[in-house]
Amino acid sequence: MSPAGVGGRLARGVTLVASIVFASPALVAAQAGNAMAGKALYELRCVGCHGEKGDGKGPAAELVVPKPRDFTTGLYKIRTSANKAPTDQDLFRIITDGMPGTSMPSWAVLPDKERWNLVAYVKAFAADKFKEAPKKLELPKDVASSGESIKRGKEMFEAIECHKCHGTEGRGDGPSRAELKDEWGHPIAPANLTKRWTFRGGASRTEIATRLAAGVLGTPMPAFIDSVEKPEDIWHLTNYILSLGPDSPGYATLVTVTAVSDAIPDDPSADFWKKLTPNNIPLLGQVIVDPRNFNPSVDLVSVRAVYNDKEIAFHLTWDDPTQSTADPGKKLFADAISLQFPPQPTPGVERPYFLMGDASDAVYLLRWENGKGVTESTANGPTKIAAIQGAEATGKAVYANGQYRLVMKRPLVSKSETRPTFAPMVFMPVAFQAWDGGAGESGTRMSLTSWYYLRLEEPQSGRRFVIPPVVAILTLAVMLLVVRVANRRA
Amino acid sequence: MRKVIGVLLAIALVTGVALVAHRPGPAGAQGGGTIEATVTYAGAPVVEKLKVNKDTEKCGTEAMIEKVVVGPNKGLANAVVSVPSAKGAAKAVKTTVDQHGCKFVPHVTAMTPGELDLKNSDDILHNIHTYSTANPSINKAQPKFKKMMTEKFEKPEFVKLTCDVHSWMLGWVAVMPNPFFGVTDAGGNAKIENVPPGKYAVEAWHETLGKQTKEVEVKAGQSTKVAIEMKK
Repeated sequence: MSPAGVGGRLARGVTLVASIVFASPALVAAQAGNAMAGKALYELRCVGCHGEKGDGKGPAAELVVPKPRDFTTGLYKIRTSANKAPTDQDLFRIITDGMPGTSMPSWAVLPDKERWNLVAYVKAFAADKFKEAPKKLELPKDVASSGESIKRGKEMFEAIECHKCHGTEGRGDGPSRAELKDEWGHPIAPANLTKRWTFRGGASRTEIATRLAAGVLGTPMPAFIDSVEKPEDIWHLTNYILSLGPDSPGYATLVTVTAVSDAIPDDPSADFWKKLTPNNIPLLGQVIVDPRNFNPSVDLVSVRAVYNDKEIAFHLTWDDPTQSTADPGKKLFADAISLQFPPQPTPGVERPYFLMGDASDAVYLLRWENGKGVTESTANGPTKIAAIQGAEATGKAVYANGQYRLVMKRPLVSKSETRPTFAPMVFMPVAFQAWDGGAGESGTRMSLTSWYYLRLEEPQSGRRFVIPPVVAILTLAVMLLVVRVANRRA
Repeated sequence: MRKVIGVLLAIALVTGVALVAHRPGPAGAQGGGTIEATVTYAGAPVVEKLKVNKDTEKCGTEAMIEKVVVGPNKGLANAVVSVPSAKGAAKAVKTTVDQHGCKFVPHVTAMTPGELDLKNSDDILHNIHTYSTANPSINKAQPKFKKMMTEKFEKPEFVKLTCDVHSWMLGWVAVMPNPFFGVTDAGGNAKIENVPPGKYAVEAWHETLGKQTKEVEVKAGQSTKVAIEMKK
């Protein structure tokens, strides 16, 4: 070994260190936290889930899915580094923004300094894993989205078989779904690529491309940077994934029922339904009565509703990774969904208890169950459900690629007092309940909403084409008159 | 400046000498002996079966997870027999694991620290997901068009290989500190050649049955038989 060689190596080493310290803006912006100050805060805010020892075994851990992070392994899902350890910035961002679709909330309420202190303390649980300075992951050159890029992304999606876990249309319903386990042996679900607001590490272009390139540590999601045909395929895939669903669910506050004059199709796949704007309703786990459902499967139902002079129809779309009918041996139940109404439109704000009514006030349930079809019933609580004799409702469902589409129909006017009559321009309370039988949901283990309002739009008539022009002409005439009077006076 | 160069030169010299001094003699020097090991297990074989719901044209309709394979005369297959304390340099031998029929072939691969070729001859997606502590764990996709991947395993350790796409796929890579190792065949036999003469503890490792050791004395030019029984 020559001295010149050693000198050269030293020089290169210095340059390398300098470039790491100075060239990366992410690292420059990071603040050195105080681990001891972080400890006090951690013991106040974080132990509930992550545990005193940082092993992810806090008292609440058994109730949450996915499980809280075990900091002692130093293994983190979300990182922008090329090596195993995340950057301080990565940890800071997760503490600040939380992780969508998990129990990790945003801690943006804490001052920056306290969050940096938490970063320092969390790292201390696996100090040896952070010895090596994080290397920045270099993504290939960005490719803007275009029809061509999305097409190439789809080709790559199929070639690298993303569908094995994420499903043909990206709803997380692939054939390997049931087998997936995380590093700790807990079952783990593949991301539903059509709902990117639930992506754990964020849904921006760069964030998606980074997950594809580097994988998600501790999960089955592998790194693809060296496993696509060309490096830029990472961006084509990103563009394709972004084309699979909307940016945000755009939740509705009111369910509008559109008036139509034609017959309403029974087929949930009919083009008729595609032309209607969906009302997206969020569902949450039922955690009021035992047995509770802390990790509900169905988190959103898209409602399209129409009525004509005879009937009202509800077109419901929701994701469910498995189509299941009741199989008591395997602890599987039938997938189901229900709409809940008061038996009669209620004057004022008084409504039955949203959780399927109670002893004094009943609710009317319009329910569809896989294998059973549509049923109508009266409920005085989630366990006191009585079928209504003489069915008036019908329904038809289809299931494909991790999604149900269902049409339920009913006469607008009911003959009995146990069923509501729907009238235009009346605010009718409505609530929703859903069960993913494949995830073991049945009875009170459901996801649900509290009361929403349903409003039947005013019947369409030719008047909307007549009144506005008449108003315009009258306004013009009045204006002209005013101008004329003013001119005369002048 | 001269002083600096002088110091650097001195460091270089010392390092060089140290390196030469540390370089072990050629592995498997002529005077070595042979260890013929037989690993046995009195218990029953453990084979888990799983119904396959995808890629059946490549993987078959039923997957077998062979956790304990017992052959004739209680011979235990897939055990790694090694002589951890023997002195010898690692040979840079290219080792390959094939993903074939949705199985890692061979089930147990033993190698000295270095590179491992991972082949995908199935024409479907696999992902190499390793579980290790000394070596960095790997989780890399290997789609159908990527027939070969090379990964480094630099520290001695038993590394578990899995594939998340096909959860039944299980393999092991035994990264050994020296070239004195063998993997038992269906009869539970493994042969280790060119072991420098001396007294050693021979170790047998099995993925589910753990480790057992036995003392042997290796004599130059001779073959020494050793029987190791694995216990649950």
